[in-house]
Amino acid sequence: MSVVAPQRERPDQFPTEDEYRHLLGRRARRARLFQVVCLFALVLAVVALATLLYTIVNDSFGLVAVVNQNDPADIVADLGYDPEVTSLGDLSYDEMVGLVATNVSSGVGRRLEREQRFYEDRLVFESDAVWAEICADAQPPAGCTSAPRDGTNLFALVQERVVVPDVIASYDLVPSLLNRAQFAEQVEAGFEAGRFPEYSSDQVSIEWRAWFNTNYLRAPQNSTPEVAGIRTAILGSAWLVSITLIFAVPVGVGAAIYLVEYAKPSRLNSLIQTNINNLAGVPSIIYGMLGLAIFVRVLEPFTSGAIFTTGVPPSENGRTVVSAGLTLGLLTLPVVIISAQEALRAVPDSLRHAGLALGATRWQTVRSQILPVALPGVLTGTILAVARAIGETAPLILVGAASFITADPTGPFSKFTALPIQIFQWTSFPQEEFRNIAAAASIALLLLLLTLNAVAVILRNRYARRAE
Amino acid sequence: MTRETSTEDVIARMTVEPEAGETEVREDEDTVQAPGVIETRHMDVYYGNFRAVADVSLNFAHKDISALIGPSGCGKSTVLRSLNRMNDLIPGARTEGEVNYHGENIYEDHVDPVEVRRTIGMVFQKPNPFPKSIFDNIAWGARINGFKGSKSEMANLVEEALRSAALWDEVKDKLDESGYSLSGGQQQRLCIARAIATKPDVILMDEPCSALDPVATLRIEELMLSLKEDYSIIIVTHNMQQAARVSDKTAFFNVKLNDQGMRTGRLVEYTETSQLFTSPKVQETEDYITGRFG
Repeated sequence: MSVVAPQRERPDQFPTEDEYRHLLGRRARRARLFQVVCLFALVLAVVALATLLYTIVNDSFGLVAVVNQNDPADIVADLGYDPEVTSLGDLSYDEMVGLVATNVSSGVGRRLEREQRFYEDRLVFESDAVWAEICADAQPPAGCTSAPRDGTNLFALVQERVVVPDVIASYDLVPSLLNRAQFAEQVEAGFEAGRFPEYSSDQVSIEWRAWFNTNYLRAPQNSTPEVAGIRTAILGSAWLVSITLIFAVPVGVGAAIYLVEYAKPSRLNSLIQTNINNLAGVPSIIYGMLGLAIFVRVLEPFTSGAIFTTGVPPSENGRTVVSAGLTLGLLTLPVVIISAQEALRAVPDSLRHAGLALGATRWQTVRSQILPVALPGVLTGTILAVARAIGETAPLILVGAASFITADPTGPFSKFTALPIQIFQWTSFPQEEFRNIAAAASIALLLLLLTLNAVAVILRNRYARRAE
Repeated sequence: MTRETSTEDVIARMTVEPEAGETEVREDEDTVQAPGVIETRHMDVYYGNFRAVADVSLNFAHKDISALIGPSGCGKSTVLRSLNRMNDLIPGARTEGEVNYHGENIYEDHVDPVEVRRTIGMVFQKPNPFPKSIFDNIAWGARINGFKGSKSEMANLVEEALRSAALWDEVKDKLDESGYSLSGGQQQRLCIARAIATKPDVILMDEPCSALDPVATLRIEELMLSLKEDYSIIIVTHNMQQAARVSDKTAFFNVKLNDQGMRTGRLVEYTETSQLFTSPKVQETEDYITGRFG
């Protein structure tokens, strides 16, 4: 293609028309090449993300070969209901308590009752006299004070203690969808090869299982993957996020305001600034070391809650929610400071001058004019930083997240576990079913992150609109 | 354009000024060295080690419009900002010498710049309303300065400020709308209204019309002339015709290169506007106002 235009004489330093056309072709090829390279990079990123999601979802759903010690249909039929109409979940509270009572040894039953009572006003396994004695003890069990079990809790208990499902083989989502028959053949072959000596093949039923289900979200941690849930982990993560936010946001925004609005350029201040920037890049396990040394050990009287009570401290050591939350807060702090600084710096100086020229103090100007404009940016940066902290595992392991805990965290001085810790532990177990519930926990963690990011976007949009 | 015609042009614009007759009286006051509302004595302003302006001694009269003119980089904005300590906000800026407001040096240690800026307000080159409603733009200054009046008194204050800034009729039905919804000229008048609402004594204006079109510029100039009844105004302008149209006295600044090649601004001539534009005493001034340089 050539442009028809009067040719202007150019000095020798410029290429001739022919050379120019030649160069033009080369430039165009080069431009196309780099466009393709950039597109390729994008495709690579998208593929990586898609693979991640595929792996998680693939593991979280699929066919299972399950052997129930007591078939739910038989249980319902024994109680005189039609199994076609009534399912296990439809039974009344009293019927379910009866099922537990008949299927559990009295020792286990007493232990369950001490963990949490079945009825507010009467006891099932324990005699009133013994119960009164236990509860008069210096350290009474949780069942003495807590509210009785609810239907969900009891249903999970029936599943765990009465039905006692045992998943002997599980299949991923995609092969389950594409080749259902093959799974049945594999299970059959397993029986022929004698891999499941404790069961006979007619006990096995092949059914769909969503490992990520409501029961899974509500059940506490358990050593059998079929009934284990992530309730404790979700609550632990929620506590951690709250404490992280409460610590990192005021401190981080305050420090950013000082650095941007008050600090005069000096060697000390630029040193501080450099350090904050470097702290943002410090590996999280080092923050874990710091948290272990300071919050767990040095500040133990505080983090175990001992200084807030004269009696028995809420926790015997400093490995509590508050230690972990503060450690994650420290980890988040540099990022919060940096993003808040960026948001504050993006506010034009003309606004500061306008405020100060009216006879406002620095603080009045910052409070009424600068912060409202910077707020969307501050919030977005903060929430993204906290979202990052939710997924942190290494510092929590160091600070001492409990590896196995069934009690919900009830306050800042509780023992705790968190979602990433749970995933980390489950993936280290040999049984295949733990891989499934770890994948389901990953879904929960990702959903939590998506929720936080959505909150960040919503807040940003709302405040950005208000500032206009 | 010859020198004579351009000068005559300026004079022609100037004679429209109604208060031309008063200038002689003021000249008498000056000769007896009556202290003005703001008076600088041998003021130097430094940015770090760099001396931006040197040895400025000026006396701004009460309820006058004083203009500061000169080529770019001559330090006229620097001088203006040092009159209400806005220069303090620039890291490394330092003012030496005296800036006396009603006889008191505002650079004394015990003087709080916050207090200085309440009495000596400022309007900036680019309109900079707050990202708030028109009402709040005006009310905020009063509020932070401890306005104790009731809600209706605040409304009166806002209305009064907007009327003084000749903006009331245009915005009275949309006080809740953002200050950014206004046009550039309206925004600048909003900024003037905002400055007035804190009841200052002096208003500094740093090239208030340079971002505005001629019509908006004219309105601001009319506004300045009416504000002169109550306030002392000091204005920096690039526009010599503007200085000639609105100001009573004009200070001409120029840049001087020193031995190290540093450009330091200094005051060349400060006198009645009518005199400065017709018969300047210094050749440099004449060269500038007739367009021989700058």
